[in-house]
Amino acid sequence: MKLIISDRHLDIPEIKQASVECIDLSKLKIANCIGCFGCWVKTPGKCVIRDDATKVYPRIAESDTVLYVSKVKFGSYDLVMKTMLERSIPIQQAFIRLFNGETHHVQRNVAPKQAIVLGYGDISPEERDVFCQLIARNANNMNFAHYRVRFATEQGLEEAVREEVLKWGAQ
Amino acid sequence: MGRTMILNASPRAPRSNSKQYAAIFSECYPFETEYFELLHKDPLALIESMGEFSDVLFVFPLYADGIPATLLQFLKVLEEHPPKRKPVASVLVNCGFIEPGQNDVAVEMMRLFCRRNGYRFGSVLRIGSGEAILTTPFRAFVARKIKKLAGSVATGKHQNLKVTMPIPKGMYIKASETYWANYGAKYGVTKEQMATMQIEDSKLGSDGKAGS
Repeated sequence: MKLIISDRHLDIPEIKQASVECIDLSKLKIANCIGCFGCWVKTPGKCVIRDDATKVYPRIAESDTVLYVSKVKFGSYDLVMKTMLERSIPIQQAFIRLFNGETHHVQRNVAPKQAIVLGYGDISPEERDVFCQLIARNANNMNFAHYRVRFATEQGLEEAVREEVLKWGAQ
Repeated sequence: MGRTMILNASPRAPRSNSKQYAAIFSECYPFETEYFELLHKDPLALIESMGEFSDVLFVFPLYADGIPATLLQFLKVLEEHPPKRKPVASVLVNCGFIEPGQNDVAVEMMRLFCRRNGYRFGSVLRIGSGEAILTTPFRAFVARKIKKLAGSVATGKHQNLKVTMPIPKGMYIKASETYWANYGAKYGVTKEQMATMQIEDSKLGSDGKAGS
């Protein structure tokens, strides 16, 4: 399954043609993670906050090809994407494993991913550097088998997404 | 070097490990501290208070490899509405993994914020195994490092510090298994139930993978 998860609306006809599911987080109601660990110790695999996030993280887990589209702020995903990723911890277990020589959470039924992370905005070189470090860490915790980071300006974002979707279509 | 504002940016602030780390810092710090929680507070009121301190210590857990959304939200407001006087910013960050280095990216985000917005960056303490260390005999290790952190903030001789449980990773994994199994047991949830591969109501095939 191919998935685009974006923090803003994308007006790209090629997405529909390429049978890609696209989730626009900006249209969803997603509260902050409250750090209760309920999804690990009370209702394993399910978040106790029953808002739209509960429909999104299973789709992330199922997808083997994902394009994450997020504005970048202080070297982090900006709030919309960051909030969703924090709410995605039900796809992991509380238990820890050794992975790539480090301790990480055991994944539940999460497909290994070919991931592209498209950070957009007015991003300074040092911010790009921090963002790339973040994605390298995410790779261990979000089950990225392979990943690539790409940057775009806000104006150039849709073109960048279109290029990536066309590449998927060519595969 | 003087009054320090301690800002707990944990999403579960009132019952967070960050609160306990902050309390240890307060005990060790030779000057006055005042403790604030970010959760459900008016950020502008917090920023107004911030202007009255020489130092601010951000205390928070690692969330999805970075700073928590609650803190990111606050920093965005802080960028737009700086305090009348900018304090020196120090960081105390903890993660549930044994490697304190897994906190590095969150520290870099804070450093980047400070550089961009004209705050002098102070000391850092990265805590590994931070979810459980306070309930173990290794509590003394972390308390000692927090004391060091407090000393460095007080003197302005800033340091980069780290601490974790001094045990092999294999032992840590086994100990964390027991820790979490006991956590689940409090809610009547077994270790096997906690280890389910199912996410929401997805159907699992006989191989444990999602059915189509």
